[in-house]
Amino acid sequence: MTEETKHIILQLGRKFLLLAAVLVVLDLVYRFTLYPKDRDRNCTLMTYSRIPVEENDDIIYLGESSNHSFSPDDQDQRAISEMIDDMMPEHKVGKLSKDACHAGIYYDMLRNIPRKSPVRTVIVTVNMRSFSSEWIYSDLEKPLQKEQIFMRKAPALYKRMLLAFKAYAHWSEEERQKLVRKGFEEQTLKLPYYFPYHNAAEWDKAIGQQDHLFNGQKVSWDTIALTCHYIKDFAYQLNEENSRIKDLDKIVKLCQRRGWKLVFHILADNMDQIKTLAGPDLEFLMKQNAQYIVNRYQPEGVIVVNNQFMVRDHDFFEREFPTEHYNQHGRKIVAEAIVEAIR
Amino acid sequence: MLFNSIEFLIFFPIVTILFYLIPNRFRWLLLLGASCFFYMWFIPKYILILLITIAIDYTAGILIEEWQDDPSRKKKCLVVSIISTCLVLFIFKYLNFCSANFVALAQHFGWAKPDKVLNIALPIGLSFHTFQSLSYVIEVYRGNQKAERHFGYYSLYVMFYPQLVTGPIERPQNLLRQLHEEKTLQYDHIANGLRLILFGMFLKMVVADNLGMYVDKIYENPQDFSSLDITLGMIFYSFQIYGDFFGYSTIALGCALCMGFTLIDNFKAPYLANSVQEFWRRWHISLSSWFRDYLYIPLGGNRVAIPRWMLNTLIVFTVCGIWHGANWTFIIWGFAYGVLLIMERGLRNIHIFDKIQNKTGKLIIQGLNILKTFVIVTLLWCVFRATSFGNLHDVLSAWVHNGALASQLHVSPTAWIALAAFVCLDLILKQQRFDRWCSQRNIYVRWSIYAVMIFSIIVLSSVQHYPFIYFQF
Repeated sequence: MTEETKHIILQLGRKFLLLAAVLVVLDLVYRFTLYPKDRDRNCTLMTYSRIPVEENDDIIYLGESSNHSFSPDDQDQRAISEMIDDMMPEHKVGKLSKDACHAGIYYDMLRNIPRKSPVRTVIVTVNMRSFSSEWIYSDLEKPLQKEQIFMRKAPALYKRMLLAFKAYAHWSEEERQKLVRKGFEEQTLKLPYYFPYHNAAEWDKAIGQQDHLFNGQKVSWDTIALTCHYIKDFAYQLNEENSRIKDLDKIVKLCQRRGWKLVFHILADNMDQIKTLAGPDLEFLMKQNAQYIVNRYQPEGVIVVNNQFMVRDHDFFEREFPTEHYNQHGRKIVAEAIVEAIR
Repeated sequence: MLFNSIEFLIFFPIVTILFYLIPNRFRWLLLLGASCFFYMWFIPKYILILLITIAIDYTAGILIEEWQDDPSRKKKCLVVSIISTCLVLFIFKYLNFCSANFVALAQHFGWAKPDKVLNIALPIGLSFHTFQSLSYVIEVYRGNQKAERHFGYYSLYVMFYPQLVTGPIERPQNLLRQLHEEKTLQYDHIANGLRLILFGMFLKMVVADNLGMYVDKIYENPQDFSSLDITLGMIFYSFQIYGDFFGYSTIALGCALCMGFTLIDNFKAPYLANSVQEFWRRWHISLSSWFRDYLYIPLGGNRVAIPRWMLNTLIVFTVCGIWHGANWTFIIWGFAYGVLLIMERGLRNIHIFDKIQNKTGKLIIQGLNILKTFVIVTLLWCVFRATSFGNLHDVLSAWVHNGALASQLHVSPTAWIALAAFVCLDLILKQQRFDRWCSQRNIYVRWSIYAVMIFSIIVLSSVQHYPFIYFQF
C-alpha cells in the first residue's frame, strides 16, 4: 500500500467518523421532534403495547379479527376477550387485537409491553390458517411488517431508515403469488396411507379442475372454489421450519423470561364444512397440526387450549370463504373453554 | 436490486471495497459477478435474455471487424446483428402489445375469434441494454471502435451494474475504454461519488416518491378531483418523473464514480429549456443523442429538403415513443413531440420579440419561453402517465369539467417542501453538477447540506414502495 493510499484511507476514515457523529445528532433530533408522531402514524401496534399498563390489565388476550363480532344479528356484540373478562371478575382482561395479526406480530407486541406492567397471564390466539403460505405471504403482511419495524429495539433513526429503504416485504402481486405457490409446492404431504397428491398445489389443482367433491357429489363452482380455499389454507404439515412456529417459540421464551403464564388458544375452524367439502384427508392433516402444537408446547409449561372442533357450522358467520368469525354463541363457547383452562 | 433498498446499501460498499482490494486483472470478474448478482436479484432467469443479446453482438462485433475489407459482408453482418437484437426486444417488449391489438382488430372485424392475448413478462431494463449493445456494433461497423475480443469485458460493458437497468445508455468509446483502464483509489472520486449518490437518493426518495402518492391518487380516480387538483397532479408528475429518473441516473453516476468510472450526464436542467428542441437536448441526453447519432443523422438529419426533414423528425420521435413502451399513449406522446418540433422550426422565423433589447425585457421573454416549454412538456407527460386512452380521457375530461369541485387533494407540507427544494436546487445546479458545486462550498455549508439531505432521506421519504418509473422500459 502506497503512502498516498494510506493517506486517502485515513482521510476517508475521518470523514466516516464525522458522518457517524452527524448520524448520532440526527437521531437525537429525530427522536425528540418527529419520531413520536411518525411512530403513532405508522405503528398503531406500538400504542397497543401500552394498553395493559394504562388499563391495569393482568390478563392480556392477543388476537385478530376472530375476537370480534361480525354478525349484525348478534344480541351480544362482546368480543371473546370481553366475554372472558366478564367470566373472570377477579381479573382484568385486556385485548391487543388487530386484523390479520399472527405470532410474529404478537411477539413484537408482547416484547414492547413495559417491564413494570401488571400482566401475569398472556392468551395467544393460534389461528391454524396463519401457518399456511397463503397467510405467510398474504398482502396484509406488508403493512404489518412495516409496523414491526417500528417495534424493534433500535435507535429511532435506524428504524426509520429501514422503513425508508423498504426493509420489509414489498413483493409485487406477481412475486407474492409465486411465493405462495412455491410454499405449496415445497412441502410434500406425507400421510400414513395412500394419498394421490404430492403437495397442496397438486391437490388444489386437481379439485379446481373437477365439478364434484371427494364423495362424488356434484357441486357448484362456488363450492369447488371454497374447497380449494380450505386446501390452500390447511393442507400443510407443521414442523420447526415453519416461520410461525419459530415465532411461537420466541413467545414461549419471552414469557418464560418475564414470568408470564402463557396460554395458546387454537382457534376453532369450520370442521363440519371442511369434512363435507374436502374429506377426511384434510381433517387428518388439521388434527395432526393441532396436535403438533399441543405436543410441542405443553411440555414447555404452556397451557394449550385446543378448540379446533368446538364451534359447529351454524355458528360461523361467513359461508363463502374460510374465516374464524363466529356468532355470539360460537364466541361464548370459545371464551368458556379458555376460562376453564386458565382456572 | 433497487438503489433505494437496504440490500443495495450493503451490496454497494462491499463491491466498491473489494474492487480496490483485488488486483486490477481480476476487477472485471468482480464487476461482472456483481452485475449478474445485481440483475438476478429481480428475476434470475432473465439474465439468459441478456446473455443472448451479449452473445449476438459480441460475435457480430468481431465478424464486422474481420470483414472490414468486404463492405457487403460487413453490412450484412451489421443488419443481422441489429435485426436479431431488435427481435429479442420485440418479442419481450412488443409482442404482447401486437397480439392484443391483433385480437382487438380481429374482434372488431368479426374475423375468427382469437381471444387469447399473449402475456410475456418484460425483463427489466431490456430497452436500455439493447440500445447499448446496438451502439457497440454500429460503432465497430463505422470503425470508431475496435471490436472487443475479451468476452468478459464486453459482457461487463453491457451489464455494468450502475447503469444496467435504466441507463445512462453508454457508448463503447466511453465505457469500454474505461473498463480496461487501471483505476486507483482517489479521494475525489469517492467523495464526489458519494455526494452524487446522496443527491440521487434525495431526488428519488424525498422528491419523487412524496409527489408520486398524489399523482397516483389522481390518475386512479380523476373524477373525484377538481380541475385545480388535476393541474397540480400534472405538475407533480412532471417533477416526479424528473426526480425519479434524474435521481436514478445520478445514483448510477455516483456508484460508477466511486470506482473511478465516469458516465455520461443524463440531465441538464431540462425544465429550464427555452424550447421543446432544447428540452430534448437536456432530458435523457444519452437516449436523445443515441437517436440523433444512430437514427436521425443516418436518415439524413436536417441536411435534406424540408418535407424529408419533417418526416425524419416524425420517425425519430415516434420511434422514441415506441422505445418507451408498448402502448398507444407512448406512440402518441412521441409523435406529438415530432409535430411540436416541426411547428417550432416553422415558427422560428417569426421574430415578434426581436425589437426588445433591454435586459429585463429579454429576461421576461426567456421566462415566458421556459414557462411555455414547461406547460407543453407537462401536458405531454399527462399522455405519457395515462395507463390507457380511457384513463387519459378520464383525466382530461375531469380536468375540463370539474372546475367547480372543491379541492380534494390535501398535499402534505413535506411534499411542498420537497418540491420547493427541488426547484431551488435545479436553479442552482443549472450550470454545474451537484458534486462539483458541493465541493466548492466550505466544510460547514457542505456538511450542513449532507445532514439535511440524510435527515430528509431517512425521515421524510415516503413509506410506500414506488419502483423507479423507468424500470418498466
